[in-house]
Amino acid sequence: MSDVISKDEEHEMSADSAVEKKGTHLERMAPVKDSRPYSPCRAACPVNTDVQAYVGFIAQGRYNEAFEVIRSVNPIASVCSMICHHPCEQSCRRCNVDEPLAVRPLKRFVLESTTEYRRNKRKLVEKTKGKSIGIVGSGPSGLTAANDLADLGYQVSIYERHPVLGGMLASAIPPYRLPRKTLQEDIDDVISKGIEVRTGCEIGRDITISDIISKHDAVLLALGLSQSRSLNIPGVDGPGVLLAIPFLEDVAFGRKPALGGRVLVIGGGNVAMDVARSARRLGVNNVEMICLESAEEMPAWKWEVDEAVEEGISIHHRWGPKAVSREGDKVKGLEVVKVTQVFDTNGRFSPAFDNNQTKFIEADTIIITIGQMANVSFLKDSPVQVDERGRVVWDPKTHMSSARGVFCSGEVVTGPGSAIAAAASGHRSAMAIHLYLQGENIEGRLPSYEKEKIPQLPSEVVERITKEPRMKIKHLPPETRCSSFTAFEFNYDEEEALKEAGRCRGCGGGAVVDTKKCMACLTCQRVCPYGAPVVTSVSEIRPEYCQACGLCAPECPGEAISMVSYDVREFRDALPSVIGSVDPKRQDPVIVAFLCSHHVGVLGFSLPENIRKVAVHCTSRIDVNDLLKALECGADGVAVVRCSSATCKYKGIENRVKARVERTKQLVSMLGMEAGRVGILTADSNDVASYSSVCEEFANGIRQMGLRTR
Amino acid sequence: MIIGSQKPIDEIWSMVKDFKKVLVFACNTCVAICHAGGEKEAETIATLLRMRAGQEGKSMEVNFASVVRHCEPEYFEPVMEELQKYDLILSTACGVGVNFLSDRTGKIPVYPGINTSFYGAVESPGNFVELCAGCGNCILHLTGGICPIARCSKTLMNGPCGGTNKGKCEISPDVDCAWYLIVERMKKLGNLEKLAEIQPPRNWSTSRDGGPRRVSLEHIRAYEEQEELKSETAGGKK
Ligand SMILES: Cc1cc2nc3c(=O)[nH]c(=O)nc-3n(C[C@H](O)[C@H](O)[C@H](O)COP(=O)(O)OP(=O)(O)OC[C@H]3O[C@@H](n4cnc5c(N)ncnc54)[C@H](O)[C@@H]3O)c2cc1C
Ligand code: SF4
Ligand code: SF4
Ligand code: SF4
Repeated sequence: MSDVISKDEEHEMSADSAVEKKGTHLERMAPVKDSRPYSPCRAACPVNTDVQAYVGFIAQGRYNEAFEVIRSVNPIASVCSMICHHPCEQSCRRCNVDEPLAVRPLKRFVLESTTEYRRNKRKLVEKTKGKSIGIVGSGPSGLTAANDLADLGYQVSIYERHPVLGGMLASAIPPYRLPRKTLQEDIDDVISKGIEVRTGCEIGRDITISDIISKHDAVLLALGLSQSRSLNIPGVDGPGVLLAIPFLEDVAFGRKPALGGRVLVIGGGNVAMDVARSARRLGVNNVEMICLESAEEMPAWKWEVDEAVEEGISIHHRWGPKAVSREGDKVKGLEVVKVTQVFDTNGRFSPAFDNNQTKFIEADTIIITIGQMANVSFLKDSPVQVDERGRVVWDPKTHMSSARGVFCSGEVVTGPGSAIAAAASGHRSAMAIHLYLQGENIEGRLPSYEKEKIPQLPSEVVERITKEPRMKIKHLPPETRCSSFTAFEFNYDEEEALKEAGRCRGCGGGAVVDTKKCMACLTCQRVCPYGAPVVTSVSEIRPEYCQACGLCAPECPGEAISMVSYDVREFRDALPSVIGSVDPKRQDPVIVAFLCSHHVGVLGFSLPENIRKVAVHCTSRIDVNDLLKALECGADGVAVVRCSSATCKYKGIENRVKARVERTKQLVSMLGMEAGRVGILTADSNDVASYSSVCEEFANGIRQMGLRTR
Repeated sequence: MIIGSQKPIDEIWSMVKDFKKVLVFACNTCVAICHAGGEKEAETIATLLRMRAGQEGKSMEVNFASVVRHCEPEYFEPVMEELQKYDLILSTACGVGVNFLSDRTGKIPVYPGINTSFYGAVESPGNFVELCAGCGNCILHLTGGICPIARCSKTLMNGPCGGTNKGKCEISPDVDCAWYLIVERMKKLGNLEKLAEIQPPRNWSTSRDGGPRRVSLEHIRAYEEQEELKSETAGGKK
């Protein structure tokens, strides 16, 4: 019997045992985590994606598990990994230290690292409910609802007027931001559950709404806002003036729209940015924009504006459109008027102009990008009521329209927002439909994504956190990227992703006390480098202070402390399988090396076969009992491999860890074993090779000491 | 609280070596606080015993468990059945716990995993000091809050003795002279003259010398006994 484990097997093995264990630990912890305030990133996410949990998995090289965390709440995960406006980042607690965590790029890294894994998971879901649902519209909201309802065992049919699924994601967002093969991965996940797809089928044109209502047990209208608004100014009608959505649809479906040599885009939102930047990519060198707002007031995301400017697009701020000037049929330009105010004193949109200040901007093509509206004309004369302003009448508490069994979700009812917010609405509507079909009450039972969040980092904690700049994302240079619609942003490589993931402070994933076991001994309060625990009759660990370093857990004499997101006992339980059976005729000593995964991650630096590595979130979590366990399982030596204190993600860890190693030495000496079989090694975290060299040096020491016979 | 300290592993091994199924059973109160016998230490002892069994080529199953306290019967109730599965329980509770559990485990022996040291305080993390001897007749009001019975090597009531040496006790330069401390404290409290009073010989019957002790609270017992009686007759046992 050989105990040789190849590198790949080894990786799988530890991952497998981790999955097994993870199930139970996270299951046990899920209600605890849910009952406590969320990390701000999670609270800010419209579907409450547990960012801390998946970033933690990335840092440990456990990408499949990271994928599971993301996918469990987000059926358009790949899409979001490219285009999400990432409110998680805006609210990241690291903002107070240096820069927010790069959550979206990390998500992309996970999604692109797990393509095979997710493809292999796709399978038909059995239809157990015997009821069918018709979903009109296949944007994020419709797709999400389809996903959830299929999972619940319903027969789902999607009706989509476009030739492809995806809503605005497929028909409007330009492919340089969202490559269609990325979108397709999400769609395939959903469709593979066994969903009937009817593309190129427009309700109102190809079939009537009544047909759909009579065909299905419930109907969901996830229509989005598919029409562009236009302007009511002189000269607007006629050739040379285009609307955003038809223009973007042309781009999306590869129909080259006819543009002149000078394009002027009206609007200051994100859609306007997409329009202008698409025009650049269609070969127009002279693209300008006008918007009512100043640079600070613009609704477009700052990064979108910066990238557009890099691409040579100029913006005229605080000008409003007055008239399109034409020579015959041909557009000559736009007369604009100075804006004096965009919002009133109450912050309401209320533009005012100074008619004495005007200017003329020359242009051959003008594209109007001032907002979208729903097209619900097909609902006329149907049981689904539409109000005088053209909005579908619905009850947000039940997602039901005025017609029983007809539900609504996404932007058609919520108004413009983000893809992930539309997905959240899709989750809610799916639950509403499920409850309805089960004859249950809906009100008060739909998922709410409004959660209490952990407060900002206290200043005394901020002072103790080392500044680490955010890993930069590489882009194609503007000159190259404007020549095509290919994606211009690069994915992180593994090293970058692991480094970036290591910046996360693990908010909400840290220590919790089992109050039944706590005897208020004060140890955790004394040990914690961040002042998180406060012990009164029992210990209470304050999540706003806790940095999830894990230093306290192994010190607690009552084993009362668990880490919400990291099972401190996980690697102890995995040791027997990591070590395997130890060959009595072995030549080389079997060494267990507990390595900090923070700076090296589980990067493939090579260690000889006889050195079994156990990646841990930080060596602060290693307990005397872990070291003993390794020896019990037959290791000839056991080492804790630390990064140097200067690069440790946490403060004040080193001496505690040293003390635990000393204690273990003492204990093994009592068994007549050489104390030198237990060691603490320091590697240089900027030099991956140093991890192997210190381990090998240690192994050589053990070789000289001799292999254990018992 | 009660301070204990772990027995050397050799000593524990000599107690347990002939048993096949051993439970290291922790108490998560006093002895946990002093890092001698809480759940974490029980796990360490269990691991060391398994390793030792391996070294000696013995097959032995060693597990660990814990309850909140070993000195009240209710805490044992949920684990009583589990305990029956073992040949030996190595308790890491103080001696009180070992006694108390032994009375309840029938044929299963309960052995001590730690030495019960004294009543003490946590002077600083990892530093435990004896401050009271449980003599049953407290006189701390006479000695400035410093117990001569626990802290004077000779338990003098009218100290110091001639062995006091620059604040230290003659038994060791590491041991404070309790009577030196008492004098300094009384000076600080402005009560020095009280020490001129000679304390008569003590009646030690309230202490160990009076035999095993018991405190029985009439007001609680009167009620409890009635209840016990009721439940016995209701159960039709007698
Ligand atoms: C140009 C542009 C860029 C954007 N960029 C971003 C971004 O970077 N990040 C972000 O988070 N969000 C972005 N958004 C917003 C995002 O696309 C929307 O929030 C999201 O698509 C709304 O989802 P939905 O499911 O409500 O509707 P939609 O995605 O609009 O889907 C509705 C679907 O219903 C179909 N439909 C409508 N009527 C009928 C009918 N009668 N019969 C059959 N089918 C019908 C439509 O064809 C459409 O496919 C962008 C939007 C646009 C327009
Ligand atoms: S540091 Fe990590 S867990 Fe905390 S808010 Fe930022 S991303 Fe979320
Ligand atoms: S170390 Fe453990 S037992 Fe002690 S106060 Fe903290 S949680 Fe409670
Ligand atoms: S020691 Fe670390 S894990 Fe424990 S409470 Fe403090 S910060 Fe949190």
